Amino acid sequence: MPKKQTAAADHPGTDDDPVFGYRALPGIADEMLDQEGNVRPVWQRLLATLGRLDETELANRFARADRYLRDAGVFYRVYGAKESSERSWPLSHIPVLIDEKEWAHVSQGLVQRAELLEKVVADIYGENRLVEEGLLPPALVASNPEFLRPLVGVKPADGHFLHFVSFEIGRGPDGNWWVLSDRTEAPSGAGFALENRVATTRAFSNLYAESHVHRLAGFFGEFRDTLQSRRLHPDDRIAVLSPGIANETYFEHAYIARYLGFMLLEGEDLTVVGGRVMVRTVAGLKPIGVLWRRLDAAFADPLELNQSSHIGTPGIVEALRAGSVSIVNALGSGIVETRAFLAFMPAICRHLLGEEQKLPSIATWWCGQSAERQQVAANLDRMVIGPAYQTRPFFDDNGQSVLGRTLDEEARASIADWLDAEGGKLVGQEAVTLSTTPAWVRGRLAPRPMSLRVFAARSRDGWHIMPGGFARIGSGDDVAAIAMQAGGTAADVWIVSDRPVERTTLLPAEESFTRNMPGSLPSRAADNLFWLGRYIERAEGALRILRAWHGRFAETADPDLPLLKDVSDYLSALDIDARQPVPDSLLANISSALFSAGNIRDRFSPDGWLALNDLSQTARKFHATVQAGDDATRAITVLLRKLAGFAGLVHENMYRFTGWRFLSIGRYIERGLHMTRLLGHMSGPDAPDGAYDMLLEIGDSVMTHRRRYNVSTAALTVTDLLALDALNPRSVLYQVNEIKTEVELLPNALVNGQMSPFYREAMRLHSGLAVMTPEAMNLDVYNRLERDLENLSDLLARTYLG
Amino acid sequence: MLYDISLKITYDYEVPVSGGRHLVRVLPATLPGRQRLVVGSLSCHPAPAERTESIDFFANPFTSILFRASHADLTIRMQARVQVEAQALTADFSPDLAGLPAELAACWSVDAEAPHHFAGPSPLLPEAADIAAYARDTATDTMTVRQIAVALCDRIHRDFTYDGEATTVNTTPAEAFKLKRGVCQDFAHVMIVALRSLGIPAGYVSGFLRTIPPPGKERLEGADAMHAWVSVWCGTTAGWIELDPTNNIPAGTDHIVVGHGRDYGDVAPVIGILKSYGSQKTKQAVDVIPVP
Repeated sequence: MPKKQTAAADHPGTDDDPVFGYRALPGIADEMLDQEGNVRPVWQRLLATLGRLDETELANRFARADRYLRDAGVFYRVYGAKESSERSWPLSHIPVLIDEKEWAHVSQGLVQRAELLEKVVADIYGENRLVEEGLLPPALVASNPEFLRPLVGVKPADGHFLHFVSFEIGRGPDGNWWVLSDRTEAPSGAGFALENRVATTRAFSNLYAESHVHRLAGFFGEFRDTLQSRRLHPDDRIAVLSPGIANETYFEHAYIARYLGFMLLEGEDLTVVGGRVMVRTVAGLKPIGVLWRRLDAAFADPLELNQSSHIGTPGIVEALRAGSVSIVNALGSGIVETRAFLAFMPAICRHLLGEEQKLPSIATWWCGQSAERQQVAANLDRMVIGPAYQTRPFFDDNGQSVLGRTLDEEARASIADWLDAEGGKLVGQEAVTLSTTPAWVRGRLAPRPMSLRVFAARSRDGWHIMPGGFARIGSGDDVAAIAMQAGGTAADVWIVSDRPVERTTLLPAEESFTRNMPGSLPSRAADNLFWLGRYIERAEGALRILRAWHGRFAETADPDLPLLKDVSDYLSALDIDARQPVPDSLLANISSALFSAGNIRDRFSPDGWLALNDLSQTARKFHATVQAGDDATRAITVLLRKLAGFAGLVHENMYRFTGWRFLSIGRYIERGLHMTRLLGHMSGPDAPDGAYDMLLEIGDSVMTHRRRYNVSTAALTVTDLLALDALNPRSVLYQVNEIKTEVELLPNALVNGQMSPFYREAMRLHSGLAVMTPEAMNLDVYNRLERDLENLSDLLARTYLG
Repeated sequence: MLYDISLKITYDYEVPVSGGRHLVRVLPATLPGRQRLVVGSLSCHPAPAERTESIDFFANPFTSILFRASHADLTIRMQARVQVEAQALTADFSPDLAGLPAELAACWSVDAEAPHHFAGPSPLLPEAADIAAYARDTATDTMTVRQIAVALCDRIHRDFTYDGEATTVNTTPAEAFKLKRGVCQDFAHVMIVALRSLGIPAGYVSGFLRTIPPPGKERLEGADAMHAWVSVWCGTTAGWIELDPTNNIPAGTDHIVVGHGRDYGDVAPVIGILKSYGSQKTKQAVDVIPVP
């Protein structure tokens, strides 16, 4: 795009081509251009900004937004035929701009709709008047997979079923907004909306500052405060319940939990005791008051709901019957997402609220009724036909819906039979063409179909609509390609005022603040941190030995040299083939570290995560290419540097609290084991020639040894430095020392002034080793030490991680 | 008829389990006009740390038990005295297949006994083309719904062989149908899938059956087992009837009801979630003794 001279920001229309050749598609509404083809006022400032920027500057700005998303670690998961993979967030950099006056109308309609949905859910799980009075066909409840019978008659602890819902809305050709689907089960996207906002403002910071765009933070703050007020006891925790790392939107679960200061938990973290939901933490069981679930309801309780669920908590339904916990949204709420329900909403709205829907649902006919079937068959060209119990909108249901006008003659002829046979399972919906919004495509603005996801949260004074949302943008003209799984993108939504807007932030006011100490650490998180520490250290230990081995192999090229043979034997006992520079088991080790880290991603900086991923990718690459000998020593040095990089990031950035201690203890135990085993194997009287020097090299203590002992390497000095020197960060005693220090600070180390068995064992191990002399260290002592360290690991697991 | 019923279910765990939570549905129900639980009790060994009694959606009572301590075996015992009334056989008021959808559509209810719950597939009973063809082959246009149900009950009884070794608790109806073998659960599941494929709502009934020893033989103690049969919705007027395809008889005074559901999963005697590292062995002993 050539650099443009725009006359004035307010009057871009005076320029020769203010819209860069942008034209709305015939017969389709557009967000930027009104029906006469004029630029809507709220867009003029954005166009003016675009006009002032040359191509390079614009590219830089978009890159800045993308860099932000990458650095923040925003990702979502894409499911392929066989496996799933993480994708970076596909941001469409041009926001969607909507005038606040138009938005007020949308908001009113959605508030009404949220109230209506609450009443419908309450009726289905309560009195069932809607079915009895003929407003809802019984089959749509009784045959509905989202209808959870064990929840019938269970009243939510705080009186409400719905707390956080979203709506997919779209603008039809006549310019009016339609509700395309309701999301009441576990709506996703609010966190991504926040990230879209931050990223988009990186690209358009000045424009954003001048544009009077409504802020999002107030909406989240109000919801957080509302959830806090819903707890029955002040000590109760609030948690986001996630299905786990394999979920499409796991990033968002972690992000929202961190943003609002809630715990991030999975079903396995919870247990039900005495009718109360408790989280297993390293400090014991702690009560949960509110669970914001991102888990599909049927999976929440394998005992009373889906028996095949491995991600639920047995007894949750019983706790709900006892009224001791609030689940947001109530289990079973997903039933009103059912596509066929849209057909009955207009009449239900009149019946329950005594008024018309302020924002109409997309016209829908359930084919379980004969008049409706005929209507659908007779107007095939205007219809999308799809599954009645589907909960996603037609453009996002993995191709389960068919567009009537695309059917061939043969299919048309049989449509009536199909509808007669399968009618109850089908709905016809008006095939609305959604509006387009500008996207930046190959250096210019191009119209792309769009739908908006808008969020509503229940607060103490009623429903609030997020002033903004999450726009999904199609990759071409095709409405069906809006879904991100099909290559669509996402854009920020700016609700623009003509006056300055209130600026809220979730940070506390300056004059008073409380320092929130991190809550109790869930046992599963502690387990993952502990094992992350062990795997990382195990990888480092193996790499150090391998580097020393390949260094000597490069000199002699003789793997049967006694020293090399001896170390190969040692490694093979650890399932490592010395001649493989980057052995399979090492890769497995790094994968395990990555898996553990992935499970606690909310506790890491994105930098740490990237560093670990980089290490894993490099190790894989080296595994395939690196040769034994010099090549291997160079490659292993690179890997060790990357490992140190990760360790450094963790060391520099991780808050020194309970989580840190488990990670550290994992590292100390593993490093202690590594050095103990190695000393036991290589420092004995029959150690091969060169063993002591190699030990010092593996223990990174060559220089220290030279400085401390004015003698050449000998069994006693090496033992002194690597086993018993409390100042050498590679020595066994150093590890045991550090373990003791960390253990003292763990929860429940002292119970009523008495040491816990775990603490006592750590103390015993420490005092036993601290009084040893180098002369007394022999294979028996090392073997005992190894057993004690392993025992300590088991004891830790039993005490804190069960 | 008056019965004393006892049930003992034992679990032997290869490796002791560290705890666990179970739902138990074994106590006979009280069904006005048909069956009355005079007295009943449920006990467990070891004693559970927590125990709660509830009623499920289909009005079946169940007990939830929680164990916190580690244990190597578990025994659940049920003792009950039940009065069962004989049901008079009514005339057949059921419509033909063509008339059933209208009666179903006219039933604006999703209460526990509403037929809509039993019309479509349920978690353990997806549609099965083979069974649907078998059902179509059994029914004719002139038959009433009740006649179709009776004919299917009879045909399954003739075509299938009772075989305690051929199937497990996890066998699907489609698999059992291929084998033409199985136990009461398989017979009932196949019949339910067949009925539903014709548009006839059908449900699963779990309970006990009084068995009569061969002439001249003593009744063997503990030789009985829990039983299952089928309930069929025969239209608004005729309502629900119960048929036992394993024995090709209507459920009568020999059938003692424990629970109604859409399939086995809704009324399984014991559903348990426990952390276990080894296998387990289960034994079940049932005695249904008529009280003179």
